Amino acid sequence: MNIIGHRRLWYAISLLLIVPGIVSLWFWGLRLGIDFSSGQLLTVRGEATQAVVDEAAIGFGFTDIVVVPASGDQTQIRYRDPSEQKDHEANHQRFRSALEQRGLVELSFDSVGPTVSTSIAQNAILSLVLASVAIVLYIAYAFRNTPPPISSWSFGFMAVAALLHDSLLLLGIFSLLGHFWAVEIDALFVTAVLTVIGFSVHDTIVVFDRIRENLRRRKGSFEQIVNDSILETLARSLNTSFTVMLTLLALLLFGGHSIRMFVLALLIGIAAGTYSSIFNASPLLVTWYNYQQRRMARQSAVRRKHA
Amino acid sequence: MSLRVKLAIIALLAAMSAVLAYPREDQLFAAIGLKDTVMKVRQGLDLQGGAQLVFQADLNGVEAAQRSSAIQSLIAVINKRANFGGTSEIVVQQQGSDKVSVSLPGVKDVDEAISRIGKTANLTFVEINAADGTQTPTGIDGKDIDSATADYDPQKLQPVVRLKLKSGDATKRFGEMTTKLSQTGNLLLAVLDDQPTFGPARTEAINDGIAILSGNMDIAEARKIAEEITAGALPVPVTLVEQRSVGPTLGQESVSRSLVAGLIGLITVALFMIAYYRLAGVLAVLALTFYTTLTLAIYKLSGFVPGYTIVLTLAGIAGFILSIGMAVDANILTFERLKEELRAGKSFRMATETAFDRSWTSIRDSNVSTLITCVILFVTSGSTPIIRGFAVTLGLGVLISMFTAIVVTRSLMRVVIRAPWARNPKFYGLKIAQPTKAEEAQV
Repeated sequence: MNIIGHRRLWYAISLLLIVPGIVSLWFWGLRLGIDFSSGQLLTVRGEATQAVVDEAAIGFGFTDIVVVPASGDQTQIRYRDPSEQKDHEANHQRFRSALEQRGLVELSFDSVGPTVSTSIAQNAILSLVLASVAIVLYIAYAFRNTPPPISSWSFGFMAVAALLHDSLLLLGIFSLLGHFWAVEIDALFVTAVLTVIGFSVHDTIVVFDRIRENLRRRKGSFEQIVNDSILETLARSLNTSFTVMLTLLALLLFGGHSIRMFVLALLIGIAAGTYSSIFNASPLLVTWYNYQQRRMARQSAVRRKHA
Repeated sequence: MSLRVKLAIIALLAAMSAVLAYPREDQLFAAIGLKDTVMKVRQGLDLQGGAQLVFQADLNGVEAAQRSSAIQSLIAVINKRANFGGTSEIVVQQQGSDKVSVSLPGVKDVDEAISRIGKTANLTFVEINAADGTQTPTGIDGKDIDSATADYDPQKLQPVVRLKLKSGDATKRFGEMTTKLSQTGNLLLAVLDDQPTFGPARTEAINDGIAILSGNMDIAEARKIAEEITAGALPVPVTLVEQRSVGPTLGQESVSRSLVAGLIGLITVALFMIAYYRLAGVLAVLALTFYTTLTLAIYKLSGFVPGYTIVLTLAGIAGFILSIGMAVDANILTFERLKEELRAGKSFRMATETAFDRSWTSIRDSNVSTLITCVILFVTSGSTPIIRGFAVTLGLGVLISMFTAIVVTRSLMRVVIRAPWARNPKFYGLKIAQPTKAEEAQV
């Protein structure tokens, strides 16, 4: 099987999957939940319609009331209470009894103030930046003894390219989900993105590790060695992703309702991670290597001309 | 370490963790004479139900140098107030520079808890001139009170609040103040949070530091007021800025659903491993079972280490279940390697050793990247315990699984391949002929 030979096809597939999400991110962004934008979120048992909830909320002065059916027989009601923070709890209690009169029993209630949501958002960005930097440094260190013709930094950057691919795909899909199905992202979503980053690199490193080993022990073109290495680790990549996805599918289908979107995010990210570690990260190493070779050839040709 | 010693240690660990992880281990312990050993995995608020409240302190009126001590005394007061319900698992801690988070597991009435914790509870005594009704502060307030209890007035059979003043200066000043009042005939009024609560009433000279406050209240109210006064006033005003409450039904539902999901995940992964890697798969499943029990045992044992107790949240369970999928990764890496080495014609013993040796760097390097993200998540999780829970269980899972997948599976493999029947490539999911006689002899 020639994976490297078809690398342009794999890149094209990746672009096809990522571009709609990027467009959506550009125009519509992500739908931020109360963790990031502050506000109130109530989960009730029972199927609530917007009209019923709006009616229950008459007189409270709430804004941005959004009713979204959650999984199971639960409904999520999001609102924003513009009154002073000290009155929020009293308003919530009266709103809760108004809902109860309409057969909607409160299961959980979250309220996040603006100072808290700002710090959650800051922490989220900080953790994403820290994780990316730490991983590049780590890979460059772990692959410091890479034999020629490729530098350890190339491994690091290609692994980061793969993880950017995975996180962009994940963010893009959730942007689309947010626009069309009102799916909001919360603090747990950031956790999912970070976990996907970790897994993406985890998966990529196994292939890279084999490339490094084969570079030491085998003769042949760089392209050939990379292709062999991908094939030799293919069964492992697919099997590991398969077992991880089995556990995630079990969680998605049978697990708790409130983490369903979190599990979905992990599932998408891990599928993307498996694809990118096979079809993006290592082929990109070859593309990068070929580019350097051509540049060096051009430079030496120029030098010969001048000589 | 010889293989036999290793196996003995593994067997011992497995037996111990199985006993600890067993859901009703208290019955087991009771059977051997140990009583009252309540051991269970600590559940987070989203599983057992309860509320997490975050209060922001208004430090505007406090000098920069005094701020951290103001927060410390705030935490002390909130701790006293929150713990009056008697629940022992209440946790009050500082969050960021100016916030205090309060975890109230199993709290039934969140609203009551919020108003109790957020109350300033400022007690002051005011003198009221009997002739013209003018009010003057007496300079005695909540800081001078040692404790307060609810009591019955033996004569009138009416609920009262009995105050005990701090001995020394406070008792002396209170004595002087009441003596003066009893002579002038002026009235004394006790004001709690700007509300006239007791009095105004005439008073006699009180020199023993015990004051009885009577007013129009029932015994429950008297108790509440006594608790508030004893806990003391909040040193700075606070606002509730974050609240996350989960009812007990939702929590219970999450627990049972997660258990089902975890079991299904574990069983399907086990079936897949056995179907694909046959005998090696069976060993991997043994290691995985060991991994699961060991992890549960560690969760339970962590309850004995204050400050490091692992609190299982819904996301934490997801992290644990995810780690089951990842735990077999090390096995898969090794078994794929084993197949390759066998295909290359190596003897079973050589192939096993090479497979474990060669796959180690991949296992180590790849798991470190997951650990890095777990550490970063843990450090930046700050206000969100649900994220912290996920980072802890996933990170711990990665570490424990490295041990079980490598040490345990390797030892088991070494034992198994001693048996001639086990040296059949078919048993490892390999589709090649049986090794030749010459190869057999090499082993």
